[in-house]
Amino acid sequence: MDRRKSSGKTTASRASTVEAPPSISVSEAFIVNALCVLGLAFAFWAANTVFSIDLVSHPSLTLFLISIAELPIVILLYSRYRQNPRQCSYLRAVGRGVLGVPVGALLNFLGAIALGAPVKFQYLPKTINWALMMSVFTTVPASCVLGSSWAEWRRIFAQTKPNGSIEYLICLPAHGAVIGAWFGAWPMPLDWERPWQEWPISVSYGTIVGYLVALVASLGFVLACFRSLHIKSE
Amino acid sequence: MDELNRAARSRRKRSSGMKQSETTSSSAAVAVEGRKRGKWGYIWPLWTTLLLHLLAILLFTAGFLLTRTELPYHSHCSDVSSSPCFSSNNGSCWTKPAVNRLVLVVLDALRFDFVVPSTFFADSKPWMDKLPVLKNAASTRPLSARIFKAIADPPTTSLQRLKGLTTGGLPTFVDVGNSFGAPAIVEDNFINQLVQNGKKVVMMGDDTWTQLFPHHFERSYPYPSFNVKDLHTVDNGCIDHLLPSLYEEDWDVLIAHFLGVDHAGHIFGVDSTPMIEKLEQYNTILERVIEVLENQSGPGSSHENTLLVVMGDHGQTLNGDHGGGSAEEVETALFAMSFKKPLSSVPAEYDSSSCQQDLDGKNVCFSSMQQLDFAVTISALLGIPFPYGSIGNINPELYALGADSWNSDASQKLLESDAWMQNYANALCINSWQVKRYVDAYSASSAVGFSREDLSRIASIYDQAENHWSHSTKKLLLDRQHDSNTSVSALKKQIDAYFKFLTAVTELARSKWTEFDLNMMGIGIGIMLISLIFQVFTVLRTTKEHDGTFSSSEDSWIVNGSILAIFLLGIRAFSFLSNSYILEEGKVANFLLSTSGIVTLRQSVSKGKLLIESIGFLILSTFCRFAIEVGLSKQAATSAFMKDYSSWIINIASGLPVWDYAAEVVPIVVLIMLAAWLYKATSGCFFGWPWKYVILGTILTYMLIIAHWITDSNRFDGALIPQSIGRTYIPRIIYAIALGQLFFLTFGQLFKKSNLDCKTNLVAKTTSMLSAWSSTVILLSGKQGPIVAFASIVGGCFIMKFVNIEGGKDGPRSFSIMQWSLFATCLFFCSGHWCAFDGLRYGAAFIGFEEFVLVRQAILLTIDTFGFSIILPVFGLPFLVAIKNQANLGRHFVFTQLSQMYTTYGLITAITTTFTILCVTIQRRHLMVWGLFAPKFVFDVFNLILTDAFICLASIYYFDQGRDDPERKSQVAE
Repeated sequence: MDRRKSSGKTTASRASTVEAPPSISVSEAFIVNALCVLGLAFAFWAANTVFSIDLVSHPSLTLFLISIAELPIVILLYSRYRQNPRQCSYLRAVGRGVLGVPVGALLNFLGAIALGAPVKFQYLPKTINWALMMSVFTTVPASCVLGSSWAEWRRIFAQTKPNGSIEYLICLPAHGAVIGAWFGAWPMPLDWERPWQEWPISVSYGTIVGYLVALVASLGFVLACFRSLHIKSE
Repeated sequence: MDELNRAARSRRKRSSGMKQSETTSSSAAVAVEGRKRGKWGYIWPLWTTLLLHLLAILLFTAGFLLTRTELPYHSHCSDVSSSPCFSSNNGSCWTKPAVNRLVLVVLDALRFDFVVPSTFFADSKPWMDKLPVLKNAASTRPLSARIFKAIADPPTTSLQRLKGLTTGGLPTFVDVGNSFGAPAIVEDNFINQLVQNGKKVVMMGDDTWTQLFPHHFERSYPYPSFNVKDLHTVDNGCIDHLLPSLYEEDWDVLIAHFLGVDHAGHIFGVDSTPMIEKLEQYNTILERVIEVLENQSGPGSSHENTLLVVMGDHGQTLNGDHGGGSAEEVETALFAMSFKKPLSSVPAEYDSSSCQQDLDGKNVCFSSMQQLDFAVTISALLGIPFPYGSIGNINPELYALGADSWNSDASQKLLESDAWMQNYANALCINSWQVKRYVDAYSASSAVGFSREDLSRIASIYDQAENHWSHSTKKLLLDRQHDSNTSVSALKKQIDAYFKFLTAVTELARSKWTEFDLNMMGIGIGIMLISLIFQVFTVLRTTKEHDGTFSSSEDSWIVNGSILAIFLLGIRAFSFLSNSYILEEGKVANFLLSTSGIVTLRQSVSKGKLLIESIGFLILSTFCRFAIEVGLSKQAATSAFMKDYSSWIINIASGLPVWDYAAEVVPIVVLIMLAAWLYKATSGCFFGWPWKYVILGTILTYMLIIAHWITDSNRFDGALIPQSIGRTYIPRIIYAIALGQLFFLTFGQLFKKSNLDCKTNLVAKTTSMLSAWSSTVILLSGKQGPIVAFASIVGGCFIMKFVNIEGGKDGPRSFSIMQWSLFATCLFFCSGHWCAFDGLRYGAAFIGFEEFVLVRQAILLTIDTFGFSIILPVFGLPFLVAIKNQANLGRHFVFTQLSQMYTTYGLITAITTTFTILCVTIQRRHLMVWGLFAPKFVFDVFNLILTDAFICLASIYYFDQGRDDPERKSQVAE
C-alpha cells in the first residue's frame, strides 16, 4: 500500500550517470539479511529482558526500540552497496540513509491515515513509531543505495523492475513489509477482544512477518540472479 | 529495453489494426452487424439478469424471512358465549379465576441449569446450585411449587420473547403491521387483557416493557436496558421497589424484570465471578419475596391467593450470547408457586415431571413446558379472556397450581381429580375454540396464510374433538349422576382430542413462522449462482467480441488490473462472512478504496502522468474515511434519528456558534459552486436543445433548494417567503421539475435528431440525466447533500481520468469499474447511512410532505438512501466510456463497451450480494441473525434489485439510436 508512496514523493529527480549496479555475492547477501534478522531479534530480546516490555503491552516503546536497533544495521550495511561508489563517499550514503528516515516515516504515516489508522491523540506516538519502523524497512535501504535518483526509485518501487542482486535486496523486503502490514490490518475489526488487535500491534506483526518472508525470498532471487550471471559469463 | 520494444510493437499493431478496421470491408461488416443488432441486442442480458435476480431473491426471501401478519382483533368476555363450552356462571369471564394476584419475576437470560440441582447434569459447574431457594421450595412443597423447563422459540432476543410471552404467539423477524418505528405491541396480549378487565399492573425493571406497553401500567419504574456494561442499575431499581410493593394493595399483577444476569453473561460470560455474585444476589431477594408472600398468605390476608412466577425469558450460551435457536439459548426455567394449601395432584398421565435427588438428598422434580403456553395458562388462572392471537394450550401442571379453588363450587360427591379434569376439559374447550377462531381469522385476513390442505386437516381434527364434546362430554358434565369411571375415561378422551388439535396447530405455526424453508433458500441460491455464471459469460463474450474486432494485445497492466479488481472484490465479498466486518463495513470499503487509490498512484508514478489526480483521489478517500467514522459513531448511539437533518455535518457543528454558522453557509456555497460548474458545462458546444434546457432547469432547482434551506432555518428569520411555502411547496416544486426533466429527457430524444457523433451525444445525455436526478437527491440528503455531491463529482472525475492512464484504446477495464463501485459504497456510508433499519433517515421522507402515504414516502426514502450509492453512479457510468482521449470509434464499439461495463458493474453488486445471502444462510442460527445479518441482507438485496433495475432503465435510455453515426457511415462508404 505504501510502497508506491515511498517511491512517489522523494523529491528532486536528478539523472545520474548510472554505472553497472554494484554486484553483491550470495554470501554477502546472506550476511546482510542475517544481520537484519539478528538486529530484529536483538531488539525483541532487549525489549523482553532488559526493559521487560513487549509489543502488546508497550507498542510505542517496543516499536521505537526496533527502529533504533535496526536503523544503524540497515544504514551501515546498505551504504556499502551504494550506487556510483566513486562519486559518492560512504559517509554521504550514510547521510542519505538518515535523511530517508523522516521522509519515509512521513509517507508511511500519511498512507496509514488514508487507510484508516486512528487519528486520536493517544494513538499519535504509536502511529509515529510504527511509521519510523516502516521507513527503516522500506525507504532507508533504498535511499542509502539509490540516493535521490527519481528514475531509479520509480523503476524499483512503481514498476517493480529490480535489476541486479542488490536491488532485489531493496525491493522485495520493502514490498514484503508493506503487503504484510496491509494484511496485518485485517484482524483489527474482529470482535475477539484480544489486546493485540489494537492499532498498531497486529499491523506491526504483519509488517515484521512480511519483512522476514521477503528477506528469505530476496535471497532466493539473489541466488537466481547470480546463477544467470554465471551462465551468461560462461 | 525488451519491454519497451514489446510495447512499441503492440502499439504499432494496434494502430494498424485500427486503420484496417476503418478501411477494409471487414469493418463494414461489423458495422452492419451492429446496426442489425439494434438496441435489444445490447440490453437483453441486462434484463435477463434482472429477472433472474428477482426470481432468486423472491424464492430465497420466502424461505428465509419468515413473515406473519399481526391481527388487530381482541378477545372479549362476551365472546365465549359463541363457543360450545361452558362459561363460568358467576359473573367472571372465560374461565373461573383460580388466583387473584400474580407476582411475575423475570430474570433475563436465566439458564435452565441455574435453577435445577447440578445432579441433573453430567458434571457440576460453578454456576450451578446458586439459586437454592427455588429448588428447596419445589422439593419441600412439591404440590404447590413447581420447576419447569420452559422451551422458548427463536429468535431468543428479549424484545421478541417478551412479545411472545405476552401474546402467546410466535413473533417473527417481520411482524407485518409494525407501526413505523415504535415497537409497541398492537396484537392482543395478556397485559392488554388485564387492563381491559380492570386489573392493575405494576412494572419495574427493564424499560423494554414500557416500550412494548406504553399506556398499560398503573405504575412503572423503568430503568434503561441500553448499557450492557452496567450490571446493577436495573437490578437495584427492581430491588428498591419490589419488596415495598409487595405490601401494597393497589395492584393485581406485579412484574419485576431483572437484567443483571443477561448483562453479566454478555460481558463476562457464564463462568465468571460477577455471574455467580448476581445469582447469589437473586437468591437472597427471592428468599425475601417468598418469605413476605408466605407471611401474608393466611386467610383474609393480602396474598391469600397469590401466584409467584419466577422465569427467564430465554437462556444463554456459555459466552452469554442469545438470539439463536440452540438448546442452551432456548431452554430457560420457570418456577411457579402458589401459597395456598394444595388439594389435588395432577393425574399421572398429565404429569411430565422427572425427579432426581439433589446434593442434600432431597427429591427435586421438574417438568417441561413450552413458553408459548405461558400466556394462555396465566390468563386461564387469572380468569381473563385469552389473548386473541395465542396459539398455546393450557399447561396442565401449571394450571393445577390453582386447583383448590374449584372444589368449593363443584359438588361434593366428585373426587378431587375428577373435579380437576372437568375443569381442565372445559378450559381446554375454550382454549381450542379460541385457537380455531384465530387460525380462521388469520388465514382469512393474511396475504400469506396457511395452505389449504393444512387448514382442512386442522378443521377436521377440531370437528372431531368438537363432536365428541357436544355429543358425549357435555351431557356427561351436565348430568352429574354418572359413575365416575365412565366420566373419567370420557374426559380423558376429550382432553386427548383437544391436545391433538392444539398440538397440530402449534406444529403448523412453528413450521410456518419459526423454521427456515431450506429448500426454498437452496433454490434461491442456486438461481443466484446461475445468474452469476450468466453474467460472467456475458462479460467474457463481449470482451472477446471487441478484442476480436480490434486485435489488442493483452497488456500486463490490464491483466494486473483485472486480477487486482478480482482480489479486491473477493476480499470485500468474503468479509461479509463475519459479523465484525459487516458492522464496520464502511471502514472496510474505505480501506479497499484507499488501497485501490494507492495502486493507482503507483501506476501513475510508473507511467509518469496524472500524479496530482491520483494524490487528490487519495486525499478524497481520506476525507471519506473521516466522514464514515462520524457516521459510525452515530450508529453506536442512535437516539434522535427522527430528527430532520440528522446529518453528520450537524453532528460536528454542535457547540461553537461559528461552526453553527458555517454549517448553514457552507452547503449553500457548495451548491452555488455546483450550479456554476453546471452552467459552465452547458456552454460546451455539444449540448443540444433538450440537454441544455434540462441543465438550466437543474440550476433553477438548486436555487430553489437554497431558498428552501433559508426559509427552513431559523437563523435567517426575516426571509421574504413565509415558512409554510418554503417548507412544503418548494420541495414539491423541485420534485415536479425533476419529474418533468426526466420525462423531457426520455421523450425528447425520440424527436431530436442528433447530428453529433455517438460519444459526444453520450456525454451530453449522461450529464443531463445526472443533473436531473441530482436536485432531488441533494434536497433529500439535507445539508450534507451538496458536499457529498461535490465529493462524488470530484471522485468520479478522477476515476474517469484514471481510465486513461494506460492510454490504450481498450475500454475501461474491471479495475476502474471496481473503483467506481467501491466509491459508490463509500458514498453510501459517507452520506450518513448504514445497513440497519435505524440507519434510514426517516426525516428525509417527510421533506415537502406532512402526512404519511406509504408509497410516496417509501420512494422518497429510497431516493435518499440509495441516491448517492446507486442512482448517480449507475447513470454516471457511461462517462467511463465516453471521456477518453481517442478518436470516435463508432456506435457499435461504444455500445459494446457500455453494455460490457454495465454487466460488469451488475456482476460486482451481484457477487457481493450473493456472499451476503450465503452468509445469512450459514449464520441463520447466529446470535445476531436478526439484529445484524437480516438487516444487512434486506439492504443488500434491495441494493441489488435497485441496481439491476436502474441499469435496465439506463440501458433503455442510453442505447437509443437505431442508426449509425453519419460520420461513421461516410467512412464506411469510402
